[in-house]
Amino acid sequence: MIQEHLVRAAQRGDTVAMNELLDALAPYVGKICGPIALSDGADAAQEALIAIFRGLRGLENPAALFGWARAIAVREAIRVARRRQRNLPADLSELPAPDDPQLAVHVQDVLERLSPEHRAVLVLRDVEGMDEQETAAVLNVPAGTAKSRLHRARASFRKAWR
Amino acid sequence: MMTDWPQVEVTDVERFRALAAGVPGATVTERVFPAAPERVKELLTDLDVFAEIQADLVSVTLLQRDGDRIVVLAKGARGQRARLAGQFRPGWCWLQSRFLIIGMAVAAEPGGGTRVALTGGIRVPGRAAIVPLRVRRESAKTLDRLERLLSS
Repeated sequence: MIQEHLVRAAQRGDTVAMNELLDALAPYVGKICGPIALSDGADAAQEALIAIFRGLRGLENPAALFGWARAIAVREAIRVARRRQRNLPADLSELPAPDDPQLAVHVQDVLERLSPEHRAVLVLRDVEGMDEQETAAVLNVPAGTAKSRLHRARASFRKAWR
Repeated sequence: MMTDWPQVEVTDVERFRALAAGVPGATVTERVFPAAPERVKELLTDLDVFAEIQADLVSVTLLQRDGDRIVVLAKGARGQRARLAGQFRPGWCWLQSRFLIIGMAVAAEPGGGTRVALTGGIRVPGRAAIVPLRVRRESAKTLDRLERLLSS
């Protein structure tokens, strides 16, 4: 885990400390951007990292580095994915459980049928383990919206294997 | 729970652009060479080659090494010296002193060849900023020298 003094050093202008942060942040940002931006995941991750390093000095709480970076990564991944216009509307029905074995098959195929926003909810819930309130906060939407997006996203997984 | 989420691996050049974006004045200059990434990385990992291609440097001497973290003494053509510290591994270099920043990254180019990205220059003392003078021209010269070495 990144130590706060490293973040503070980077914020003060130590570019070697920035490099250390990059080593820690790049895989994490890639993990967020991949499932949301899919084939544009690398572009999204680069855009997110650029936004992170441009904005690093403004981060008030160094202990919140990863949460702050996560929000930027999600935002950039959705933006890049939408820019490429590759999202298709989700076809939606019922909700499988998170441990449903059907969810473990051909994730990429099903993700491609979802909008970037729906993919973002899935990533925050199932990769990051966030609850509805936290997910809604990252996406800057009401909790009910995050809940309904998750419901729809999981439903599309269920429907894909009927 | 889903386990095969699509993974993204950011190349060193993509990472490099991001890091440079956090350093005002850092201009990234890139060029694609018709050479294998392994050959380019091997060449740039040699500190003598590193010194040879960098503008204004005549020698780089290793002072400390801990894994890929190094400290070097760089000597300039006009007698100036800089104690540079940072990360130096195949395909990646990010070094700083109080007055200097030098960065390089290498990545395989889709379709063949190798992309090399450079930045660096006079550091605003103690800050994450580069004085934006001659940066692009000096980077171009460095890439010219690397091109000659690769074709020799």
